[in-house]
Amino acid sequence: MFLQNLVQKAQQLIDPAVLPGPLGSLTSSDRPSKAQLFRHQFRLPDTQNPLYEITAELTLPGKSSRGGGGAPKNWDKSNWDRDRGTHYVGQLHLSEQFLCFSTVNTSFANTASTSASSAFTGRTHGTGPAGNGFTLPLCAVRRMERLHTQSYMFALSVTTWNGFDAGGEGKAGAPSPPKLTIQLEGSRQQCERFCDGLKRGLRQGIKEVDNMRTVAQECYSEYFMYDDFDVTPTPEKPDGTPRTPPDTGLGSVFKYPGNSKKLRDRSKMRLWHEYMKENGRNTTLVRQPDFHRLIRVGLPNLLRGEIWELSSGSFYLRLQKPKLYQETLVKHEGEGSLAIDEIEKDLNRSLPEYAGFQSEEGIGRLRRVLTAYSWINPEVGYCQAMNIVVAALLIYLSESQAFYVLSILCDRLLPGYYSTTMYGTLLDQRVFESLVEKTMPIIWDHLVKNDVQLSVVSLPWFLSLYINSMPLIFAFRVLDVFFLEGPKVLFQVGLAILRINGEELLDATDDGTFISVLKSYFARLGESAHPKSENPKHRAITNFQALMVVAFKEFEGITQHTISEQRSKHKGAVLENIESFAKRTSIRNLGPESKKLSMNDLGFLYDRFYTVLYERQQRSQIIQAEADRKQKQARQRASELVTGVPGNAPEMGRVALGPSSSQMDYDAFREFLAGVSKWAVTDSPSSPSKEDKSSNGYFASALRNRSASLSPWGAGPEPADHDFMQRLFKKWDADGNSALTLQNVVTGLAPIKGNRDIMSSIEYFFELYDDDSDGKVDREGILRISEALLFLSRRGVAGGLGPSSGVEEVKGPDGLPMSKDEQFLSAVSAFIRRCFEYADPDHPSRQDVDGAATGIKNLDVKEDDLLDLGEKKESDDHPLAENSTSAADDSVLARPSTNSFGQTASKNAEANAALDPSSPVHITLPTFRMLVLADETLESFFDSGFANSFHLADAPLPSSTLTSPSFLNLHNAAPSNSASPIPTISPGGPGAGVVAPGKGLRGMLDNIVTDGMRVAAEVKRRMDEAQKELDRGATTRGTEDEEDEEYEDHGRDLLDVAEADAVPERQGEAGGNLLDKDIVSSPTKAEAGSSAASVKSTGSTGMGKDVEKSTMFER
Amino acid sequence: MSDGAGATAPKPSSSVKLVLLGEAAVGKSSLVLRFVNNDFQPNKEPTIGAAFLTQKCQLPNRTIKFEIWDTAGQERFASLAPMYYRNAQSALVVYDITKPSSLVKAKHWVAELQRQASPGIVIALVGNKLDLCEDDNAEAEQADAENETEEEPSTARKVSTKEAKAYADEESLLFFETSAKTGHNVSEVFTAIANAIPETSLKGPRSGAGGGTQAAISAGQDNNRVNLNARGEAGPKEGCAC
Repeated sequence: MFLQNLVQKAQQLIDPAVLPGPLGSLTSSDRPSKAQLFRHQFRLPDTQNPLYEITAELTLPGKSSRGGGGAPKNWDKSNWDRDRGTHYVGQLHLSEQFLCFSTVNTSFANTASTSASSAFTGRTHGTGPAGNGFTLPLCAVRRMERLHTQSYMFALSVTTWNGFDAGGEGKAGAPSPPKLTIQLEGSRQQCERFCDGLKRGLRQGIKEVDNMRTVAQECYSEYFMYDDFDVTPTPEKPDGTPRTPPDTGLGSVFKYPGNSKKLRDRSKMRLWHEYMKENGRNTTLVRQPDFHRLIRVGLPNLLRGEIWELSSGSFYLRLQKPKLYQETLVKHEGEGSLAIDEIEKDLNRSLPEYAGFQSEEGIGRLRRVLTAYSWINPEVGYCQAMNIVVAALLIYLSESQAFYVLSILCDRLLPGYYSTTMYGTLLDQRVFESLVEKTMPIIWDHLVKNDVQLSVVSLPWFLSLYINSMPLIFAFRVLDVFFLEGPKVLFQVGLAILRINGEELLDATDDGTFISVLKSYFARLGESAHPKSENPKHRAITNFQALMVVAFKEFEGITQHTISEQRSKHKGAVLENIESFAKRTSIRNLGPESKKLSMNDLGFLYDRFYTVLYERQQRSQIIQAEADRKQKQARQRASELVTGVPGNAPEMGRVALGPSSSQMDYDAFREFLAGVSKWAVTDSPSSPSKEDKSSNGYFASALRNRSASLSPWGAGPEPADHDFMQRLFKKWDADGNSALTLQNVVTGLAPIKGNRDIMSSIEYFFELYDDDSDGKVDREGILRISEALLFLSRRGVAGGLGPSSGVEEVKGPDGLPMSKDEQFLSAVSAFIRRCFEYADPDHPSRQDVDGAATGIKNLDVKEDDLLDLGEKKESDDHPLAENSTSAADDSVLARPSTNSFGQTASKNAEANAALDPSSPVHITLPTFRMLVLADETLESFFDSGFANSFHLADAPLPSSTLTSPSFLNLHNAAPSNSASPIPTISPGGPGAGVVAPGKGLRGMLDNIVTDGMRVAAEVKRRMDEAQKELDRGATTRGTEDEEDEEYEDHGRDLLDVAEADAVPERQGEAGGNLLDKDIVSSPTKAEAGSSAASVKSTGSTGMGKDVEKSTMFER
Repeated sequence: MSDGAGATAPKPSSSVKLVLLGEAAVGKSSLVLRFVNNDFQPNKEPTIGAAFLTQKCQLPNRTIKFEIWDTAGQERFASLAPMYYRNAQSALVVYDITKPSSLVKAKHWVAELQRQASPGIVIALVGNKLDLCEDDNAEAEQADAENETEEEPSTARKVSTKEAKAYADEESLLFFETSAKTGHNVSEVFTAIANAIPETSLKGPRSGAGGGTQAAISAGQDNNRVNLNARGEAGPKEGCAC
């Protein structure tokens, strides 16, 4: 059954006109799919689909034929006469396993409009076996013959399995129910097609016969109909096996509620006996008008369970998976769960006044049914009120029967009622209120005026199906009709209660009086409605009978259609309420760390977190559904479509609809980051067009249709995948289960966004790279840090300098303003060099380093002063200052040379010593801190830039950078080349140094890069010599940055930039490419192709490009 | 149905909406049942949605009529709670002293109320099931399996008075430890709440805003009210200590 749910859910996704649950889809249409309407009308399991349909006339043997004793036997194809019996014209439907007929003329064919299938006119309006007809499992057909007829082309005679007694021709045994005769009315072709389908179905059905017999044996009717009504039941079958009545619930042991004499139970049984004799039973029951009437007057105790099963459709579920209940119990034996704990709490508190639930037997059944359901539907688990409902069911049903009825209740009849957010309950309360307002405006106004909240009163009615509001016998009468006619019954009864008590309620001015009026009314349900009437017949009418009349006559207009309409009308508001409540609660419970972030930021994180999860789920489902559809098409109308989306309903991600994944895996985390931080957006999105070209899989076509939603990243930007992000993920994953909760994200982000303290921010960063938490970061770590800094800055840093810094822009050598990116680049290149200069050898000689550090610091201070005086210096200058302060005084023109390696020759020698892999080095937090603080750019980065790179509520990322499909497309497709008029500047371009240096900015930049590269190259060379495993250290994205400084400078003209940037990537040319190449990896290229091969790509598409580039570098 | 005091000496009477919140099976309904009917049922049906009861509390100079909303405790019913605590002037947040998790949940409720409920709401934190740890001072020594049912006397206290009291003080809540089973401290809770409700925020029974002045009329009205708990017609014996 669970699988079937999944299948259905998957199918719902395929059908655009889909109604997940009763609620209507949030997105497109609020109309249910035809298949779903079909299943609901005939109460079929979710595996069934309408395959064929045809107009037909059903002929049943009339009552008259009953008199002539042997009449049924005379029914065969030779003497068939369509003038005898009762005729019904209607629609005959065929599904995989069922043949259904209804006089309600609805169509579920593919060609039919949805309205043709939803325009119900019958009493049940599509939520139950409407009209007259049958729902016949094909396996219950014993024989199907084509009749000779003049007037109709096709007439079929159907003989059902329990038309024959088990014991042969002896007296005992069930009387034959009538053969059904069906005339198909359609073109010859239509009829033949239908019959072909029928033949196939029947053949399939043969396998099910034994199973069906077993299942049917649990129906009381099989026992009951064996004998004539008035004789004492035969004690044994003709073959001598004793006959025992099947389990008809706790009532058979502990008495059924109510006085059976007063309820005229026996005469009801007689009527049912007659009805079943003529119209079949359990699997083969034909619904005629009397069927509905007999249910309305209340079911007799022993047959109540069976009719509930049939009219709710749970019988067909049981028929399909008869062992599910037992298997579920066995499978989970001994396991515990939260639901089980909750169930245990309530076992003793479920209908405690009924004797059966004061016994271990009753409690045990209740426990098992609730537990089994909580296993097959863990999303619902257990909800208080289910205990009461199931307890009530168990009075009339066996354990396993109750289990299937509960499934139907939760999945179909009361959807969302018992979910973890109870959205169904809240929604229906809203619907109920609006119906009251509509039908009884005076009462409604009174309630509003006196501030009486109706739902407070009515919620328990719906949630526990009136079982704990009305005396049991009456609640069961409501249930009788509810199972047959669907949820609208609950509304009708509720409205009728208010209508009947209207006058008294208008006197009530507060909740208390209001409730007490209704309570006393419920207590008087069994009393006469007209105690003072002269007419004894009137006196005999009980309040309950009056209630039923009002409910079904006066409120006849309340149909399932009304309810559905109202539901979709109020759904949005109700879900929003729940979501805002959930959000509030969730944010409040995030723990002390969360206090560091503002309420707005938390709200933003919450939304972002769940949006990502929700969207990912949606996408995976669409993709899955797409796959399913293909699969389905492949094997035409395969009856067993078992692949589904595990555990997901179409809207599960929506918080209000209940539990869904509340944890992010790494991919989701990437997507999350990409929506928050620019740097987390990949530079090389896998082009959808590319995938289109490789249209070998079925995704290709799907992509063409819905490329936006089917890209694994949806409409949003494709996130990058970088060592830094992995580290961040690992750090935030405090529980170590490779998944982040919202709590993890908030706790992880709080120190970054919340502290605003440069020291802790530096420390945080350091710890990210301190793999073994020993306070040291080794050589590889240093390289990774540098690389991460470049990664983070490659789209510009919103540093502490802020936009205002534009006034004091640093000038490049050629007088052009130097962008912050350039500053950053040079800062990083200096950083890496200094790292190795000041790294501690693993056998410490710390004093020197400390001394040197102090030196630097002092000089820094000086230099800061200088900077303040006028032109801002390249931060890169700082280290140079240690040998000659004159460097600081150098004109900008001098800078390229001061940047060069040679100028710091003496230091260089030291550094080289540090680079020697044979003497492993590390930096400690103090060193790291010092090095950061020594550089203004880095300092500002850690002071605010890093924190600001996470855009939360205060400054969310502009959506244009997030979701601009044209941006992505252009970027990938732009055919122009480096000759683009816009000079493409590439900070961090690792290959830049190898390329012939350009002029101006480019030249300056290249020098900077070269400088940094040479340091790194040295590192690299030695490392490569020494230890191969350090290959990993040279992680490179192997991608290009599409957003260089032009991006900043030119008013975020994404299209231009994309175009310009796409050039190098496409052509693999050296000019202006490789923005993302970090300094560390670039020497690899400069060195030799062999080392390039050792560069490990972390990007999905990176590898290919890497190789391409590395060869390019060799040239 | 009516407690004698109200009939003999009509005092200013006002109704106060009180909501009970707390984890499932901590004894919310039992506390109310004890307060309203002076009764105790070991196997009470779980509350579905909410139950509504009323009870009067006599103070020296006025009568407070509590309109008690007893809510369902299961986690998933939490989203219904705003419906019930709307306009509440007082709240009883209940936890089970043998279940630390229930105090955590209680804290959540307190936070929710402080943020979302009417401003100035009087909140009382109540640790219930005191009867399960006879030795009041013994602090969670026997760390053993916890029991949720009230008949199990073996379980010891898991939440110390000190801890809960400190929290209550910090949040300026009234604080009590009670036993619905024995009746210990139950009426005291309600009396304390009645006393803590600022007079200015009192209103006549359903008369809208304003001070509680319409004594005579409301006394008559009150007598007409049906005590909602069908079983409890006996009336409160010690519903209120005063």
